[in-house]
Amino acid sequence: MSYFERALIVTILIGSLAGLVGVLVVLRRRVLFTQALTHVTFPGAVIATVLGASMQLGAVLACLALVLILSLLGQLRGQGSQAASGVLLTAGFALGVVLQALNPTIPVQIDSYLFGSILASTWADAAYVVAGFALVLLALLIWGKQVLFFLFDHPGAMAAGISSFWVDALLLILATITVVVSIPAAGAILAIALIAAPAAAARHLTDRFFVMMWLAPVIGACSGVLGLVVSRSFGLSAGASIALMAAIFFVLAWGWAQLRSPKASAKTTPTAVRA
Amino acid sequence: MNMIDALTTAFQLPFMMRALVVLLVLSLAAGFIGVFINLRGLEFLTDGLTHAVFPGLAAGFIVGGKDGALLGAIIAATAATLLLTWLSNRRVGNDATTAIVFTALFSVGVLIVSTSSQQTSGLEQLLFGHLLTVTEAEALTTIGVSALALAVVLLTFRRQLFRSFDEEGSAAAGYRVLLTDVALNVSIALVVVAASAAVGNLLVLAVLIVPGALARLVAVRMGYLFVTAIAVGMLASWLGLATSFTLSVDAGFNVPGGATVALFFVATYVLALLYRTVVKQVRT
Repeated sequence: MSYFERALIVTILIGSLAGLVGVLVVLRRRVLFTQALTHVTFPGAVIATVLGASMQLGAVLACLALVLILSLLGQLRGQGSQAASGVLLTAGFALGVVLQALNPTIPVQIDSYLFGSILASTWADAAYVVAGFALVLLALLIWGKQVLFFLFDHPGAMAAGISSFWVDALLLILATITVVVSIPAAGAILAIALIAAPAAAARHLTDRFFVMMWLAPVIGACSGVLGLVVSRSFGLSAGASIALMAAIFFVLAWGWAQLRSPKASAKTTPTAVRA
Repeated sequence: MNMIDALTTAFQLPFMMRALVVLLVLSLAAGFIGVFINLRGLEFLTDGLTHAVFPGLAAGFIVGGKDGALLGAIIAATAATLLLTWLSNRRVGNDATTAIVFTALFSVGVLIVSTSSQQTSGLEQLLFGHLLTVTEAEALTTIGVSALALAVVLLTFRRQLFRSFDEEGSAAAGYRVLLTDVALNVSIALVVVAASAAVGNLLVLAVLIVPGALARLVAVRMGYLFVTAIAVGMLASWLGLATSFTLSVDAGFNVPGGATVALFFVATYVLALLYRTVVKQVRT
């Protein structure tokens, strides 16, 4: 199997996973936070590689550290979660760059980490994606009902005894898994496009949750494949092509929604999501 | 050469002096604007704007050199602001739309750079700057653009302040909210452009966000906020530059100067955070 076919398979897997988890991230309005997650994986991966551990492990640990620091900083006046993630985000990048420069021999390339290196993906990358996918599906099979209830009717779910803390923690873990395994496809900067855009596009096309749950992964996988094909035909950066393709799907879906019901634009109250 | 020399006599070298001047000017403009970023909670938007300016920088740089980069960045920032207002829709959260629009623009920038011939060095320089090899022309551009950014905010200072504390009040008093916002966004974009040679597109966020957040930790009154933000930025620039000098000249590491400066910005923030928590503990 050629490297391009392997890259196609990995992209389809990552696109569908990012689309699926993206639905939860977008509906729970955690895009900003996920953005900070993607950026902070960079120093984590560099540190892990310097220490000789696995890149993915370092990225996961960095995400967990971010969550911890954010929850502590969020309690201070004038330091909203935005300010805190902004500072951490820059700290992450600067630290990553300096560490990388101090250890010129380590095999983490800044370019490929920031913008993805899908064409160089290995079967190990594919295995990570499959494992991540399996974990996410398993979690959704077990707790999907509770998460769904929570997303639709927050007070109702709380009244029924679902803990808001645990659902948010679950979403966070799913987002972390997705971010860590998506980075080879789109890179630390552009992974957020692959997570947010397909889900947001699906949201424009439908009000039904279960439709979103399969539509977003399909859009994600299509963005991946089309982006890869475009990047190969025109000799462009693969990660950027994939991210841009996802954004184009979003704009098309937005346009379709505008055409279908022009009145349901910015000012009016949105129709609620239905199961 | 030891650290003391790096902090003092090293600045007799012309390239060090130039880097220092550039950073001090940037700290002044970014510190001032950073206070508004913190008061308004615009950190995420700022992050997005730095991404959005990138394609403008890249395209402008390829078409028309340094002057082209400036023009391109301003066009890109304005386009991004308008696109965002136009696409925002309550069906999908604003945070999702913001992230999608800005990363899409950023990938356009990467695509532009990836088609041009000098891509590898060009991309890294645009992202991380080249602090120690800033040319005289670049220094002058930085100073001019920072001054412009500062002027935009100073001219709209009253309405920016009013808007930060009371959005509805400022609208009721006859200030146009959209105009105020566009003025602030444009000045943020200008700082991003000004900083692109020295600290690069990714690390400019440190210069813009950290001083404002830090000032908010230690100061309460408006005047002190601005003074703290600017002073801390200047201090961190000086220390960061000296460290970067030691690392690259003495130790021979190829560290982008902007990255050490950004780390010092973050370090001052951590110190302020410790100070704040300790003082709070003692007083209560």
